[in-house]
Amino acid sequence: MTSPPTIFDRALLRKRRDRAAAGFAAHDFLVREAAERLADRLGDVTRRFPLALDLGCHTGEVAEAIVGRAGIARVIQCDLSPAMAARAAANCHPTLAADEEALPFAEASVDVVVSALSLHWVNDLPGTLVQVRRVLKPDGLFLAAMLGGETLKELRACLQAAELAGEGGLSPRVSPFADVRDLGALMQRAGFALPVVDAETLTVTYGDPMRLLADLRGMGETNAVAEQRRTVSRRATLLEALRLYEERFADGEGRLPATFHLLTMTGWAPHPSQQKPLAPGSAAFSLADVLAKPM
Amino acid sequence: MNDRVPGIDPKLMEILVCPVSKGPLRYDPEHQELISERAGLAYPVRDGIPIMLPDEARSLEDSEIGK
Repeated sequence: MTSPPTIFDRALLRKRRDRAAAGFAAHDFLVREAAERLADRLGDVTRRFPLALDLGCHTGEVAEAIVGRAGIARVIQCDLSPAMAARAAANCHPTLAADEEALPFAEASVDVVVSALSLHWVNDLPGTLVQVRRVLKPDGLFLAAMLGGETLKELRACLQAAELAGEGGLSPRVSPFADVRDLGALMQRAGFALPVVDAETLTVTYGDPMRLLADLRGMGETNAVAEQRRTVSRRATLLEALRLYEERFADGEGRLPATFHLLTMTGWAPHPSQQKPLAPGSAAFSLADVLAKPM
Repeated sequence: MNDRVPGIDPKLMEILVCPVSKGPLRYDPEHQELISERAGLAYPVRDGIPIMLPDEARSLEDSEIGK
């Protein structure tokens, strides 16, 4: 068996998150928005989930949003970054540092697994999904939001154009993202029942493109692609990209839109009580008989 | 079943396993480490937060296994 490809440098991601932890509160709007949306969806579920697990907890935003929804009483929080975990622990929910690619939880141990904006950094997403399904009790729910392929399309287009013109080549400067259809198939393969994946688009507008870059850094979301050029992007290239951003995308008031594409996965750990298709050949009526009857 | 660890939520200790072997963990109060004998690794506990990252774990010496 071959090992899954290493797309993201997880050690670098951890460093980015460790560095972002102290100032995260100033750049947490996107994680808070995603957490609120997950909480709304939990509000629509009639089942109760006393024990929740939050994968990639940042500084505790999800726990704050979901406690009390769908009977959630406690949230076990984990993050790849020990510095993020240490800050999240201030909300008094049990907290640890853990890697989404190697989960340290026993089988069938939690009622619901949630995650806001962390799983788009996982190299082996199929492996992680299988581990999540195992951690869930039967009829447990998995509900996760991650960034999808349309994210930062404006910035990416401008960086590419500036880099091709100025440096005569392209470096993977913004992460690759998963697609809605891929995710649905992955969830099914990981053994989730009733998998659903949907996409929403959030547009954030900025007066100054430097603020967008500051937010990305502040969230620990800057590029962690393993194969990127190790040399620092030339400052002239970056400035040219930002100039193009203003030229191509500024609205009537000179503000710049930044697209965030939010993919939400929902799936259940299998349980006999769940709806299923009938077994082939179990139909009580023949379609041919129905069609043969004169109208 | 895992040991009780002061400062760590008992419910968390109940469900925590080694991320590498998925086996049980033993608490070493002297070094403040969670020991996975099956994987031969010791995970540090810092300020009451278990650091369950294989990269951060210490490899056990032969003499430490089976204590």
